Amino acid sequence: MNKIDAKVEAIESLENITVVSFSSFGQALKMMSLELDKNIKIGSKVTLGVKASSISIAKNLSTELSISNQLQTTVISVNNGILLTSIKLRFEDFILESIITLESSKRLSLHEGDTVIALIKSSDLSILEVLK
Amino acid sequence: MIELSLQKKLQGSHGAMHLDVNLEIKEHDFVALSGKSGSGKTTLLRIIAGLEEAQGEIIVSEKIWQNSKNYLPTQKREIGFVFQDYALFANMSVLQNLLFVSEDKKLASHLLELTELTELQNRLPHTLSGGQKQRVALCRSLMRRPKILLMDEPLSALDMEMRNKLQDDILKLHKEFGTTTIMVSHDPSEIYRLANRVVMLSHGKIMQDGTPKEVLLQTKGSQKFSLKGELLDILKADVIYIGIIAIGQNIVEVVMDEAEAKTFKIGQSVHVNTKAFAPSLSH
Repeated sequence: MNKIDAKVEAIESLENITVVSFSSFGQALKMMSLELDKNIKIGSKVTLGVKASSISIAKNLSTELSISNQLQTTVISVNNGILLTSIKLRFEDFILESIITLESSKRLSLHEGDTVIALIKSSDLSILEVLK
Repeated sequence: MIELSLQKKLQGSHGAMHLDVNLEIKEHDFVALSGKSGSGKTTLLRIIAGLEEAQGEIIVSEKIWQNSKNYLPTQKREIGFVFQDYALFANMSVLQNLLFVSEDKKLASHLLELTELTELQNRLPHTLSGGQKQRVALCRSLMRRPKILLMDEPLSALDMEMRNKLQDDILKLHKEFGTTTIMVSHDPSEIYRLANRVVMLSHGKIMQDGTPKEVLLQTKGSQKFSLKGELLDILKADVIYIGIIAIGQNIVEVVMDEAEAKTFKIGQSVHVNTKAFAPSLSH
């Protein structure tokens, strides 16, 4: 599970649905969730989690996307398998892994040092723990 | 209001144990008592029923059932009790089992009608199915119009379909008779359907107390879907890893990343977590 530490900036709730806004190194992040744990408040520091297969990658992104979380990252390594590719990305202090198909990786011609956008849907982001 | 403040030294399955429970229960509430076996649930139920003695107080609607000076015997406490093993009189018909408790024939036929037992009223218990027997026991427990209905794992001997039917009957009778119901149960779905409050006991003490959702929902951080399982195997496939996990009677697969594959060991007990948005349902 990829981990990003972030601070809770805003909590919007309607009945059982919650949308939480975070910030991490100035980067805004959003999470779609059901009811939130009572100990999560504005100002809480949390570790966010996202699965490697839920991170998409965009290069030269210029289209309008509904995806809430668009993180500027640097490619650290590209590990091409037979069908899939594991790409390690640096976002500030955090290393993120993205699993995409080999075909997509080739199409984007990803290389170490490239600047790419990591895309994460708000429903794929979760709070793993509340930090003290 | 039912006010319980009870203490008793017990010999539990893990050695000596001190039952110490302070509980206020609102009238007409449906409370599920849960917890591991040997946590004191059944003992607590029996103490409320007056089947077992303990120190402390039981006050029901400002009436003292027991304190340091007074002790009401079982038959003077306004309770109904349903046991796991039905405990019907074998030589009496269904109707006689009910009338033995109280001669109120009108009430008996009303109860039998509510639980669809009218046609079986002249049958002897040994000719009935488990579900039917427990419905008779349930009716019998209400023949004195009790203030408190106590049930000790009433449905644990029944199959799933019969449980669902009985759960409906229990809820119907709880509402119609306005009883305060305290039921020992281990079954989360049963607790969720029936109770509005869950009290979780551990080693004779209350560990959790809240609504069924608060107490029973297994979450991990903001992830609302958390199941406990055993990691059976980790397979490497291309650049990813696949964890094979046993959850109850099922085997499931979870895609793991490299870091997870290194962190977890085969044979380890794990929680499988995901967001409530990820799983989908099918028939």
